[in-house]
Amino acid sequence: MDTEKTEKSELDFTARIKDAIEPARGVDDRDLKNVFTARLKQVAARPDAVPIEFDGRRIEVRRGGTLLGAAMKNGVRLMHVCGARTLCATCRVVVESGEDNLTTMSGAEKFSLRWHLSVSPRTRLACQARVNGPVEVESVFPLCGELPNG
Amino acid sequence: MNAVDPPQTPEADLVARLRAGDEDAAHEFFDRYAARIRRFIANSLGGAAADTDDILQETFIALADALPFFRGDSSLFTFACAIAHRKVLSLIRTNARRARLMLAAPITEQPTSHDIGANREFNRDLARLRPEYREVLLLKYVEEIGVSEIARILRLSEHAVESRLARARKSLRKSLKEEYGH
Repeated sequence: MDTEKTEKSELDFTARIKDAIEPARGVDDRDLKNVFTARLKQVAARPDAVPIEFDGRRIEVRRGGTLLGAAMKNGVRLMHVCGARTLCATCRVVVESGEDNLTTMSGAEKFSLRWHLSVSPRTRLACQARVNGPVEVESVFPLCGELPNG
Repeated sequence: MNAVDPPQTPEADLVARLRAGDEDAAHEFFDRYAARIRRFIANSLGGAAADTDDILQETFIALADALPFFRGDSSLFTFACAIAHRKVLSLIRTNARRARLMLAAPITEQPTSHDIGANREFNRDLARLRPEYREVLLLKYVEEIGVSEIARILRLSEHAVESRLARARKSLRKSLKEEYGH
């Protein structure tokens, strides 16, 4: 009985919300359509592998991957204490060149850098910055020595 | 509007063509989903119409950039909604920071032909809900997206989505009862 009542109430609720919300109207924005198409073409034309220079080492990374991921896959040892959650900023890198080839900073990344008093536009978190083209970066805290668990 | 429209092109094919930068695929995707994405953004913003088109444009550009990394483990519409959700959230946070309006997203009441009588009061209460409540209700009841897909969009667990839905329903019912006694 209670189940029936709940189901009826749920149906009423669904009907009310759907009734109150205006139906989706077509978006007649030719400019936006063209911008979207042009951007897709631009993205499709980009090469999949991107050469970067990390702490003086030339490595090839997957376009769209993070700097930290690229470093780890290529044996560049870089501190990342919080596990890529923007909390510690120990994976900070200084971008020597090609900063436009990294994705723009998210709010979380900006907050983290500000919190850790690193507000230079050339400083990025390797765990957040994704690679779109060739860049040259230097880590702020390169990992020295061995960790207990390797 | 159904949650999943009958696809003109199977989604996997459409994704492959979009990734290749195919113009027809871009137009097909736009015609198929732009209206629903726009409605999702508009309603998530609680009627702040001025920002809707900006967010829509940002969403489509970000979508084109992110498409190479779409793994296909959700629908393309869900993927687009997830991007739109983050753009909306970012705007709401910026506005909240600016005006300390986190509990009430920007509301500019602009009556439309649909916004009449009982719908008007319902819409107003919906717009006054906390943004995260409004968003989850819209995804569930208007876009008819399942809980697991909503969880992907909002980056929450399914359990958290269920709880949020329950709280959102309760909050909306409460405000309707308080103001109009029904």
